[in-house]
Amino acid sequence: MTTITLENVTKRFEDVTAVESIDLEVEDGEFLVVVGPSGCGKSTTLRMLAGLESVSEGRIYIGGRDVTGLDPKDRNVSMVFQNYALYPHMTAERNMTFGMKSAGSFSDDEIERRVSEAAETLGIGDLLARKPAELSGGERQRVALGRALVRDPEVFLMDEPLSNLDAKLRVQMRAELAKLHGELETTTVYVTHDQTEAMTLGDRVVVMNDGEIQQVDTAQYLYDYPNNQFVAGFIGEPAMNMVGVEVEGTDGETVVSHPGFRIRLPETDELRRFDAGRAVLGVRPEDLSIVETDGDGADTFVATVTVTEPLGDSLLLYCEVEGDELQVQSAPRSAIEPGDPVTLTVDRDRLHLFDRETRAAVYHSDGTRARTPEVTATAETDD
Amino acid sequence: MSKTTVTRHLPDSITRAEIDGTLRSDRLWLHVGLFLSVLLMALPLLLAFVISLQSRGVITSVSQLSFDRAFENYRAVLIDYNMGRYMFNSFVMSIVIVVGKLAISLLAALAIVYYRFPFKNFMFMVILLTLMLPVPVRIVPLFELVAGLGWANTFLALTIPYLASATTVFLLRQHFLSIPVSLVEQAKLDGIGPIKFLVYVLIPMSKGMIAGVCVIMFIYAWNQYLWPLIIIDSQEMQVSQVGIRLLQGVVETGDIAWPIVMAGSIVTLIPPLLVLVLFRRPLLETFGVQQK
Repeated sequence: MTTITLENVTKRFEDVTAVESIDLEVEDGEFLVVVGPSGCGKSTTLRMLAGLESVSEGRIYIGGRDVTGLDPKDRNVSMVFQNYALYPHMTAERNMTFGMKSAGSFSDDEIERRVSEAAETLGIGDLLARKPAELSGGERQRVALGRALVRDPEVFLMDEPLSNLDAKLRVQMRAELAKLHGELETTTVYVTHDQTEAMTLGDRVVVMNDGEIQQVDTAQYLYDYPNNQFVAGFIGEPAMNMVGVEVEGTDGETVVSHPGFRIRLPETDELRRFDAGRAVLGVRPEDLSIVETDGDGADTFVATVTVTEPLGDSLLLYCEVEGDELQVQSAPRSAIEPGDPVTLTVDRDRLHLFDRETRAAVYHSDGTRARTPEVTATAETDD
Repeated sequence: MSKTTVTRHLPDSITRAEIDGTLRSDRLWLHVGLFLSVLLMALPLLLAFVISLQSRGVITSVSQLSFDRAFENYRAVLIDYNMGRYMFNSFVMSIVIVVGKLAISLLAALAIVYYRFPFKNFMFMVILLTLMLPVPVRIVPLFELVAGLGWANTFLALTIPYLASATTVFLLRQHFLSIPVSLVEQAKLDGIGPIKFLVYVLIPMSKGMIAGVCVIMFIYAWNQYLWPLIIIDSQEMQVSQVGIRLLQGVVETGDIAWPIVMAGSIVTLIPPLLVLVLFRRPLLETFGVQQK
């Protein structure tokens, strides 16, 4: 049983606060992914878990044991680094056994058995006699994983372990990591800046920004119900469209109004409570679609295509509507060209409203309650 | 078709030959130039070597050259004139200095790179500042200190004052800094202590660098002259550089015995030359671009 608990953990580097009072629970056997842009404090959080950085405030528990002040070696964690951190002058096998032999708590037979087990799991049995320079990137990554594995730690910590691999190998290793975690079920904390990795690997995903946790949820929930504008914009590729709008309530019907369009919103409790006024409308590119006819004009509007990006499986259109830009994911192989006018409509169940000031989500149009996060979003307004 | 190809190729091959021709004559002059400059640089050594094989120091014509006493000169210088003993002393002194310097510098660099302690950068600056105070500058207080300790005429006097080396600390520090931090962090996670990390990780990863530094240190130690001249007055403890000077006291037929002096110089030259030849690769690596 290994859970990880972070209580009010803060890290300050002189005058810079890298991590601001984080509270987080990692469940036993969970694969938790921490994602965020560079400088958001995700690596610092991981390094505090490993004991490589001291904690300025707060406490960290691993398996119920307070490890806040413990040395890295006493925490029973294994870490995999972005650059693998293999000793270049040692063979793969020696790299895997060096730490164990130093720990002195394993017999030689035990070490040998574990190395051959790990080598078999990772398919590196015939690479053990090679030095890192003679291994490819993916093989090095496996050896680094093997080194983490042989110590049979309570927790795996991974700091962007796939970032140095090429795109194809990354996808392959991603699947292997997921499979490996399925077999071992060791509690894992995985840090990445790549939201695809986060979504595909994580049982739950922690989104961080500016040293604060923005949201912790399953990948799909994060995608469908972002807590705030940051999460909405960070999760999902291409990113969610954000447009400043007026919310107008006219007897029983609420409408978002923009110089280029008017869209009726499905009624929810939250919407009734939300005072009419300025807000930010969020709509994902795939929830916008092109309609052939003008129809009745309700909830449709006309935009001008400025750029087309054929992606193979879809066609991404950059459309301009009254000074705002919208990205629209449409069917591939269409004859639309820049300059063409298109008539757009929205999936009315997939709309989000965000508060202009706090940037927090106030409304999801399918009726799911927008959670008012305790940690409100930062009040920057760069929209 | 074929005609055009021929006409196209013909002038090509001519120009190629012309180019080769000019290149060859360029190369010739280049080599003549290089040979002359090498000869110029090597001339003193060649002369010393030739003179060391003669019976008399002053030679006025080539016809006077004779090599009858070649072996005898070297035997005399090594045995009769004690050069063998001096060289042994020099060798012991150099080895002790290299090993001691390396041990101290490795520990100092380890501390400077991997430990956090107050005034770290200031301490490093102080170490670098000692570069401005080499042995010749502090020779008077050093003499008083070493004589006061009763170390005169001992190996202690020959070696201890040389053990601290800012250059070595600096070179090792720069090299350690080029080693990825994640290796240290991995070691911390594995519970590998600093000395173990030094022995099993840092030193093997710095082999080339250390070998290069050792060559520099060995040659530096071997070439010490002023300090041994001052602190050592017993013939038994003297080193070879001073030994060459002592050879100038050998007088034959009212003149300095130049063949003996030159033979002494040549044998003194051999150990550092051997070290240079053996370790030229790591030495070049030390001064070359560091590869991460």
